[in-house]
Amino acid sequence: MTDVTTALAWLPDFIEPLLTWLPIWAQILVSSLLKIVLILVPVLLGVMYLTFAERKIIGYMQVRVGPNRVGPRGWLQPIADTLKFLTKEVILPTNANVYLFIIAPMLSLVPALAAWAVVPFLDGWVLADIDASLLYILALTSIGVYGILVAGWASNSKYAFLGAMRAGAQVVAYEIAMGFALVGVLMAAGSLNLREIVLHQSGGLFQWYWLPLFPLFVVYFISGVAETNRAPFDVAEGESEIVAGFHVEYSGIAFALFFLAEYANMILISTLTSLLFLGGWLSPFDGLDWLTELPVIGLLFGNGLHWLLIKISLFLLFFLWFRATFPRYRYDQIMRLGWKVFIPVTLVWILVMGFAMFYTPFGHWFH
Amino acid sequence: MTFEHIVFYAISLILLVSGLLVVTVKNPVKAALFLILCFVSGAALWLLLEAEFLALTLILVYVGAVMVLFLFVVMMLDINIAEMREGFVRYLPVGGVVAVLMMLEMAMILASSKTGLVERSHPVSHGADYSNTAEIGSVLYTDYVYPFEIASVLLVVAIVAAIALTMRKRPQTKKQTPSRQIATRAGDRLRMVDLKSEKKQP
Amino acid sequence: MIFIAVAVAIGVGAFIAGWYLGQPSRPDADKNSPYECGFEAFEDARMKFDVRYYLVAILFILFDLEIAFLFPWGVVLEKIGRFGFLAMVVFLTILVVGFVYEWAKGALDWE
Repeated sequence: MTDVTTALAWLPDFIEPLLTWLPIWAQILVSSLLKIVLILVPVLLGVMYLTFAERKIIGYMQVRVGPNRVGPRGWLQPIADTLKFLTKEVILPTNANVYLFIIAPMLSLVPALAAWAVVPFLDGWVLADIDASLLYILALTSIGVYGILVAGWASNSKYAFLGAMRAGAQVVAYEIAMGFALVGVLMAAGSLNLREIVLHQSGGLFQWYWLPLFPLFVVYFISGVAETNRAPFDVAEGESEIVAGFHVEYSGIAFALFFLAEYANMILISTLTSLLFLGGWLSPFDGLDWLTELPVIGLLFGNGLHWLLIKISLFLLFFLWFRATFPRYRYDQIMRLGWKVFIPVTLVWILVMGFAMFYTPFGHWFH
Repeated sequence: MTFEHIVFYAISLILLVSGLLVVTVKNPVKAALFLILCFVSGAALWLLLEAEFLALTLILVYVGAVMVLFLFVVMMLDINIAEMREGFVRYLPVGGVVAVLMMLEMAMILASSKTGLVERSHPVSHGADYSNTAEIGSVLYTDYVYPFEIASVLLVVAIVAAIALTMRKRPQTKKQTPSRQIATRAGDRLRMVDLKSEKKQP
Repeated sequence: MIFIAVAVAIGVGAFIAGWYLGQPSRPDADKNSPYECGFEAFEDARMKFDVRYYLVAILFILFDLEIAFLFPWGVVLEKIGRFGFLAMVVFLTILVVGFVYEWAKGALDWE
């Protein structure tokens, strides 16, 4: 299916001569592994520092300073946390179902990480540029719910079970809203491939899909917050009601894996939202040639990875901001929002888009 | 033996073993999880056949939705395994007939040259830029539009049936109607009464 | 092809990391009993649950199927033109009838 040149595509040039002594399949394997490392290490580092950013930012929002003891201004805190998680005992509750109990954290982490295989970071900077990448991501995120369900059931604890059931029904309800929102993007872009969707949005700030698809954009991001069980939709964990929900019984590295999965999913949702609705790596000044052709700063204004990172950080900030601002939704309110507000809104907007595309002169808005 | 062959046999092995475990394992939750593994490896086989849309939809619909329902049911009902065992003998004849029929059908297809069934030519494999999602789309909504609309009617029937089977209204439950809550004004709830302050009688 | 291998590779990587980094356990009866705010756990946690969860799950399956129909439609919309659009309008209208029925019956209310 693939050959060495595509496997080496966006790796630095000095790697190629290092590999030439290997057989072809080994070259492909090694370069793919290198790429996986190149993608996952930043993601995991991002997760570590996202926990730190969360505590700092919410701290400042509540007029506290947040963690500031470990390292200069607390910057080594995530490393200390990681070490602590690693050195703690993994408790196996007596009534738990041992195998399922151990498998559950992995079930939730693996899809959260595997989804990154199809995420493009720049034109061509993607591990597997498959045609149905959006469908692949949707399929993987729908598997993520099993980690929660299995964890809650295997723990054989009431709080855990209750949390898992709540989480299951909630994730399921918002997945539909999410799917409908994605259909709008597909209609506009005419492709399931994330790279093509981004390239379809080129031409500056007002060509991005957030404007014509504004309702879908809002629905998608809020459903994303609900999918990841983050505040204000965190009834699955609800510290004040069911202690910690599905992962009460977990400790040490097993707990850390759930944590990793949750934060990796947050980053994934932010990345997807920026790719689908905010033009990914495209610069908002795309198309203003006089600006991008300036020496030195022109590079800053041009398309590039930095724009994607800025957009991702923006959405992550929203995640944290929501948590600091909104009180937790009640369960019936969550279900009502998912089923009775989001689904009708997205359905209506899909029809409006289709109608505008075929029967009014405003169709080009949605392309 | 090419690389694809090895992958095919490995995945098929997983599929068969997990399928076997679905029926032999005692714990119903574990059985459901093995069924999920079955679906995932089935999807992987379809990916090998370059049917990526079908494979991903299989995961999305079966693994992502149907099995969630199964797990909900299996986790919430305390299924007594001994009782289930008793039913085994009773259902054996029916199950056996179905199994034999399916075996016969498969045998007929596998030996299609002898049974006279039409054998199709092998499908051509396409390049990486070939999108079978678009291929399906371009025929489903035009050439096969009637079956497509019938599918929607089927879905509606399923919605109605699901509600008819599982809806139970309990009269004593309380709920809120948010639109009415939002629509209230302070004037509806609160009445300002002007009370004269009382003066002590001299 | 390659991306299955990649996904599996990532999966296995995470699996191994999770498996081998655990620390030796020092079991203890109280530590290992299920958490219940300090009470002794009474009765098994696997209780029967409200049937409403099933309804949500069934409705989810049905809507998921709808999405599965909408995806290829979104991709080829420009190619199939007005006819394809109208086909989907009919499809969605029929399903909206079902949705309205759900709504009116109160299947979407969570009391």
